[in-house]
Amino acid sequence: MIEIFKVIFSNFKFLALSVIIFSSMMVLLLLISEFIFLEPYFVTHIPSGSELGFILIITLSALSALVIPMNLFRITNLKNSKQKMSGSIFGSIVGSVAGACSCGPIGFAVISTFGSVGATATAFLTNYEIPIRVVAIAILVITYFTTIKSLKTECKVNF
Amino acid sequence: MNKKGGILGIIVISIIIVIVASMSSSNNETFDVDMTRTHGSISTALGSPILGDPLAPITIVEFGDYQCHQCYNWFHNTKPMIMRDYIETGKANLVFVDFAFLGKDSPKAAQATYCADDQNMYWEYHNSLYTSQESKIDSGWASSERLKAFAFNLNLDMELFNECIDSEKYSKRIQYNSQQARDNGVRGTPGFFIVGSDYDQQQIGGAQPFSVFKRILDSMI
Repeated sequence: MIEIFKVIFSNFKFLALSVIIFSSMMVLLLLISEFIFLEPYFVTHIPSGSELGFILIITLSALSALVIPMNLFRITNLKNSKQKMSGSIFGSIVGSVAGACSCGPIGFAVISTFGSVGATATAFLTNYEIPIRVVAIAILVITYFTTIKSLKTECKVNF
Repeated sequence: MNKKGGILGIIVISIIIVIVASMSSSNNETFDVDMTRTHGSISTALGSPILGDPLAPITIVEFGDYQCHQCYNWFHNTKPMIMRDYIETGKANLVFVDFAFLGKDSPKAAQATYCADDQNMYWEYHNSLYTSQESKIDSGWASSERLKAFAFNLNLDMELFNECIDSEKYSKRIQYNSQQARDNGVRGTPGFFIVGSDYDQQQIGGAQPFSVFKRILDSMI
């Protein structure tokens, strides 16, 4: 497994992609979930009772930063199917959307635009934010292990 | 002729009774508010009573929804320190203005606070809502029955409260307040305006920590 990591992340492109995915996804999700504020001053804080939400965001960002470059490596270097790429993208999107708290500007924009349908959708995403993020993490973990497994097999064949 | 006149008289009296009855049970009941009350660019005339010293040099205007979890976070994490350092010391006061947009129970909960205000228990009721808030929107925690139960727990006159909430006496008041939020560019809850004595105002979006409020409030004192 370590050999696979070495092969993938010794390539600067994949390492850079991983860093970009982790940092941009983490900052975006922390902003949406109001762990970071940019105005009127830059400030970060974790309100008491929101620790689990914070940990899930970090986990989701880290897993996305790991799984997406691994799958891209499979596609570009091993010319393999794109099937497992969809798992990692899907997991990342599902987990990200869960953070669109209906209290905040995104939720307000959705409710203002789509009315009661938007309100129902944002209420669902808010009410089930934690379970949705857990499911997204589960999808990414499954994708990670299946990717590792197939990379082991395919690398043996190709190298 | 007399018989016809009698019938006509009964009909006329009946119509008058119906009109008088419908007017007395109309939603357009009057309530005592100072319609000239403004803070900065915001008309707070139909907002909450002022919490703290009305003559305090700074006013914090909070736009909130009783079903908003971030409002709950602010209420429990930041507000106690603002109360201790600024409101109880007379440096600032606070007005809550409803921005009830999250779910079908949000306007009802906001209306209930003004029904409690009819009995001079606005802030007690407001606090009980944010203390009892459940994390799920429209899950029933702010249904009419639960809102009445909160009033009962505060020993409010239930006949008055039930009549007020069932008649939706304050529905237009909530609409007015929510429109104030939109007119002032509030794009989520909680949203705040810190208004100084020289009418300069600073907007804060979201449940920001005490340090942010302290920095702005101290710069205005």
